Amino acid sequence: MMWMCVTVFLLWMRSGRCTDKANTSDLIEYTAADFYEKLHSGKMMFIYFEHQVSPTISLFLVELEKSVEALQDYGVLVGKVNCNKELVYTYCAEEQLLHTAFLFRGGKEFLSFDLDTIFDVNSIVSEVLFAILRDEIKYVHTDADLLAMEKAARGKKDIVLGYVCSLGTQEHRSIMETAYVYGSKYQFILITGGPVLKHLGVNESSPSSRVWFLHCRVHSGFMTPMTSERCPLTRMRKPLSTLSLHSFLQLMEAPLVTEVYDDPSSVQPPQFPYQQTPQVFLFSHPATEHLDLDTATTLAWRLRGLALLLLVHRQSPAVKTLDEYNAAYRLPEKSLEVKYLTLNSLDEVLVLFADQEKDEEEEEEDEEDNEGKLDDEIAAAVFENRGTLSDMDSVTQLTSDNFHSAVAQSGLTVVLFYLKWDAVSMAFLSSFIEVAERLADSEVNKVQMSVVDCSEWTDLCAAQPGSAVPFQPITAFPSVLLLHPQHPAQHFRGMLGSESLHRFIMISRVASPVRLSTLEEVQSFLLEVPHPELAGYQLDRVVGLFEAQTQTAAFTEAAKSLRGDALTGLLTDELAEKWAADHTVDLPAVLVFPSWRTHTHPFTLPASSSAEELLTHINTALLHPMPELTVENLPSFLLLGKALLLLFVGEEEDKIGRRQNQALVKEMRTLVESEGETMERYLACWIHLGRTPAGMSVLGSYVGSMPPLPALVLTHLPSGDQIYQYPPNTPIVASSVLHWLQRVEDGTESPTGLLDEDSWPPAFEFYDFLKIMDMQEPDSAQQQTPKEEEEEVNVKEHVVVEDMTGDNRHAHSEL
Amino acid sequence: MDPSLPSVILFILIGYVLSSFDNRHHNVTRRYDYCVLGAGPAGLQMGYFLSKARRNYVILERNSGPGSFFNKYPRHRKLISINKIYTGRGNREFNLRHDWNSLLSDKPDLLFKRVSDDFYPPADAFPQYLSLFVGELGLRVQYGVDVGRIRAVQSATGRHYILTDQHASDYTCSVLLVATGLWVPHTVDFVGADLVEGYESISTNPDDYKDQAVLILGKGNSAFETAQSILGRASRVHMLSSSPVRLAWQTHYVGDLRAVNNELIDTYQLKSLDGLAEARLEKIVIAQQKEEGKRRLGGKKKEKRKQLYLTLNKYMHSRNSFDATQEELPGHHIDNFPMRKPYDRVIRCLGFRFNFSIFDSSACPPNSENAKGRLPELTPWYEGKNTPGLFVLGTASHSRDYRSSAGGFVHGFRYTARAVHRLLEHRYHRNAWPSTQLLATHLQSWILKRVDEASGPYQMFEVLGDVILLRGSHCEYLEEFPLQALPQLSSLSGHDVSMHGLIVVVMQYGKKKIDYLGRSRAETEWTNAWKSNFLHPVLYYYKTLPSVEEMKLRPNGWPLPRPQAIHHIVEDFLTEWDAPISHIQPLRRFLEHCLQTDLRAFYAESCFHLSLTHRMPPLFCQQGYLKQQGIPRNSQLRQRVHDAGLTHTEQDVGTSDADSTFPNYLAPAGASVSSGLKLDL
Repeated sequence: MMWMCVTVFLLWMRSGRCTDKANTSDLIEYTAADFYEKLHSGKMMFIYFEHQVSPTISLFLVELEKSVEALQDYGVLVGKVNCNKELVYTYCAEEQLLHTAFLFRGGKEFLSFDLDTIFDVNSIVSEVLFAILRDEIKYVHTDADLLAMEKAARGKKDIVLGYVCSLGTQEHRSIMETAYVYGSKYQFILITGGPVLKHLGVNESSPSSRVWFLHCRVHSGFMTPMTSERCPLTRMRKPLSTLSLHSFLQLMEAPLVTEVYDDPSSVQPPQFPYQQTPQVFLFSHPATEHLDLDTATTLAWRLRGLALLLLVHRQSPAVKTLDEYNAAYRLPEKSLEVKYLTLNSLDEVLVLFADQEKDEEEEEEDEEDNEGKLDDEIAAAVFENRGTLSDMDSVTQLTSDNFHSAVAQSGLTVVLFYLKWDAVSMAFLSSFIEVAERLADSEVNKVQMSVVDCSEWTDLCAAQPGSAVPFQPITAFPSVLLLHPQHPAQHFRGMLGSESLHRFIMISRVASPVRLSTLEEVQSFLLEVPHPELAGYQLDRVVGLFEAQTQTAAFTEAAKSLRGDALTGLLTDELAEKWAADHTVDLPAVLVFPSWRTHTHPFTLPASSSAEELLTHINTALLHPMPELTVENLPSFLLLGKALLLLFVGEEEDKIGRRQNQALVKEMRTLVESEGETMERYLACWIHLGRTPAGMSVLGSYVGSMPPLPALVLTHLPSGDQIYQYPPNTPIVASSVLHWLQRVEDGTESPTGLLDEDSWPPAFEFYDFLKIMDMQEPDSAQQQTPKEEEEEVNVKEHVVVEDMTGDNRHAHSEL
Repeated sequence: MDPSLPSVILFILIGYVLSSFDNRHHNVTRRYDYCVLGAGPAGLQMGYFLSKARRNYVILERNSGPGSFFNKYPRHRKLISINKIYTGRGNREFNLRHDWNSLLSDKPDLLFKRVSDDFYPPADAFPQYLSLFVGELGLRVQYGVDVGRIRAVQSATGRHYILTDQHASDYTCSVLLVATGLWVPHTVDFVGADLVEGYESISTNPDDYKDQAVLILGKGNSAFETAQSILGRASRVHMLSSSPVRLAWQTHYVGDLRAVNNELIDTYQLKSLDGLAEARLEKIVIAQQKEEGKRRLGGKKKEKRKQLYLTLNKYMHSRNSFDATQEELPGHHIDNFPMRKPYDRVIRCLGFRFNFSIFDSSACPPNSENAKGRLPELTPWYEGKNTPGLFVLGTASHSRDYRSSAGGFVHGFRYTARAVHRLLEHRYHRNAWPSTQLLATHLQSWILKRVDEASGPYQMFEVLGDVILLRGSHCEYLEEFPLQALPQLSSLSGHDVSMHGLIVVVMQYGKKKIDYLGRSRAETEWTNAWKSNFLHPVLYYYKTLPSVEEMKLRPNGWPLPRPQAIHHIVEDFLTEWDAPISHIQPLRRFLEHCLQTDLRAFYAESCFHLSLTHRMPPLFCQQGYLKQQGIPRNSQLRQRVHDAGLTHTEQDVGTSDADSTFPNYLAPAGASVSSGLKLDL
């Protein structure tokens, strides 16, 4: 026991100390001689060989310094060797070891650590201890493995099961430190989430770090609420820290039920180390002694980790408690007062202590109670805004009755088909209304913005209001159609946001293709914006040049499907010939003017005979060769199916930063352009974290933490799920990037991470009604057995008849 | 209407002799792919579907107009099928849930409300509506064709039905759709049955019952309707049948006693001379008291009506005579026998039975096991047992859901007629059961749409259900399939079940007997949805189609066998199952379980993240975002980003937008950027 106290003290002292002293103490710098001496003495050493100090390295050194004391407690010397002063062979010689620290044990190199995995004191301590303890701490991936471990431990050792949401965190460190102390007493197991967590009843998508205690040592005769195969388990409810884990483990050692013969008021409050734990008293009568003990044991299991249970024998003369009470409790630190209760069910005790816990784990409670909360981000947002109804004044509400007249009245009717219970519909409805208001404000005439509530006008949405409508039945919600009189309906297939809808509508107002009949018209088509509302949007333009009207069918068809996405123009006859001659293209031709190029440098496509083929060519030509990825345009680039060479740049604070970013992008551009063939396999692209903040979490999950910017990452390789990070702090220069790509292909680079699994199982457990029925009404949901069935056919009718005839004595019933 | 049976038989005999001559004489080819027998609501409903599909069909009707049954019945001329015109909704499908008289068509205004705006419409309105229906849709009905004999003929080209009418003309039909309804009054054999008047011929003038004691046999709606009409004139009205009154509002079966007819329950319970009693009619005797010594020959009209006694078989010495001695009356044995006083009239109101007599043995479906054998026995897809190609529609098809659903009533069988037509289209014309293809991520909304508005499964609860064939990332949605035919789904519908299994959406009532007006009659907590008492949607998930055997052995009271997983959507006061927490989310989790995939919706930003950190993002992102239909988290229209800057790296003269710097519009976002650095480790 004394030893325990020391440990606690030690742990506690250290956690208070480390931050104060870190800045003042110097990291021990070993000379080569020191290093060899310590090495040969067989001591455990954690050494970094310093070459040159970059900002990242100096950050690391500060953290390393902080870990000196922490690791000292576990017998690990921490220090660095300055290679600039003297060389320690191999470790100082190799440049790539710049990013590595080493653990020595028994006179040999034991393990090396990439600095990426040991970025602060917590990760250093946890990783080093993990390495030392790696034979003792088991990793478990599946429930079957866990079961095997439980079987092996049964009757011998209890198991401490830890889940940390990520390695190198304070929680990870706490488990490692505790494992170091208790490693021989308990079997420590780390789990990696997934199926094991499910077994433990954790169903959240991103659970927090947790610890469970598996009572495997108790002999099987013990009354447990669990199935016989598994060890009963207790979840640690307090947030994970070294101290809380320590006291939790001690509490697990406490006797389950203590029998006392004193009145609760004279029972001593819990002694060290349980002084922070509440006591619960139940009373036992001689007549029901065994039953009472069973009840107490059951409750004790449920209270384990929360409170200590004492069973008071009423027959003892010392017990003064009134008979009307059947339970009592005493809270820690709240004087010695005992509160008496009359309970109707054991659950009331649980409620009592669960409430006590509530403040501490409110967040957790919320997570667990996921039945009353919406787990779908769009549904939740819509639900939260349910109070603020959109003002529908700016849109026309179409019905089965007014549809035809309303559509006939307007040159362009934009129709949103929605379902009011569909969250996505409702999220989009407000954007739709916003566009309607914007159009009204800017006095864009001849566009009628309208909505159809398909939960009401079901026949209209099914395209069967009794007379013909210009669209097919709507089966996907929300859907937006653009209806020009006398034209087939046009589906809006863009992002369901106000900006892209606005852009689409404004572009759709322009004829597609526009027939250009003078050079001035061509000039204005290429240079001017057709409507002030379109200013500020990036406009792609496509022009078809044909000798004769008769050749234009495919182009016209393609232009129709481009309506809303791009501006299309058509030149024929002499004008086309003249223009072609001026620009040295052969007729027929299709010129594509992507917004990111200027009109003087169009792409020239051969005019194909099929509209589909032409569309493919046009769409390919419109893609930027080195795009800035945004939330909006990512899908069109992912369609290419290429590996992504992804440059992340941060937001610039000043002109210099801006210039740097530009230079970077330019460098990448050079790479793409100069190494055409090699680069063909990759899509070089960049994400500006200022404009696309969503990119930040992407980068975070690629490299495990937030690296310094800019960062270059290679991912989505057709060959596998590996993610490679271009060495940080290495200048991004076309030639070295190219070499790096080569090394990746040769397999000499090690990946920094993996793309996550592609399977998307349900994130939440469904509510299994069958199970509930089987529990509450065991046979009601079971198939009948064949024998019964024979009789079953007529049973009902017979019963009625039998009842009637057998009911002789009742007046009015049988005569 | 209602010619006596012997004359029909006579016609048949004569017709048979003359038939060959007759056919040649008329020189008309009467061959049809489809013959519909009867121009009542079911026949016309089927006629509409056949006409819409442009099939070679004819509707044969022996009377001169459609729906002639309703010219006579109900005798007191008030329909009890509700005609709810105002529902507060424009949803035509939903409104049909509360319109029990209209037939289905694609004409939105061809509804019953055009002929009557009474909630309980007059019976005359019904034939009037049917005439309208025939006229506006141009259905081919031949009136005055009284088919007296139906036989089946097996030939090289297949099985045909030959119908012979009163002129001995033959109609050869590949498929026969019998929609003759029920019109033969049902009788029970007991001594004294001849002393009893029938519902079909009683006077409907209440004054004819002045101060009379009346015994009504039967406790259905016609019995109560009769009782109600004479309540103000008769001295006492007693009602007798084997089972106690079943109240429609308790059993949810519209064929049971409707509250609109239940005034007699009131007067009974308030002890106002009326009463109800139970006895098996086979055991009763209606008797006249023998008047010894003063013998007179009875039966003359002007004479005072003889009083009728109710007694029991067991007290009668002679089994055949309805003249009873004092000892043969029950009062002699039990001095307080409830019905010891005599009646002036005994009226039989026992409903109707199917007319089996016109079917030759080659074409006659067997009698049903339920409904006292009054109906033909049918397969789950309404084909006669042992009579392939002969289907029974309308009220006569009620053996499939007798006393459990609405298949015997217009608002129910209009949907079963559609179901039969759909399978005819598949069986004979290879048109698969119509289906809607949906993306898996759109399925939930579609199910909600159906359960919130669909009328077919709502009326034909536990009989017709929507079937969803899962196909991975998409699914096929089949509407209103007969549930009992589920084992034969593939052959009947032309759709296969894939390895992903299927979901069946059924509307169900709770099966527990509860206090129907008591406090705990409704569930509101979704986790208790399986205890719902009112009509609510239930979803069954099967990995494979259940077998016929499994269907037979289904749990007691269930419409379908035990599935792999089941989901009840908790009953709703407004029958609007669209609450995000109580209805929608639990449904989504169930669908996720069936499809084994995350079906949550994500904003474009989340999809962006998930697409870059996974090879494939969740289904919603695949089917929306990756198709460039993402949902941006915030509407950005107001602070629209002028995309300039680095995208314009080609600096050409003449570019209107030559500014190559990064705009600083996002400066305030800087804070979130730096804090973001620590997130998402």
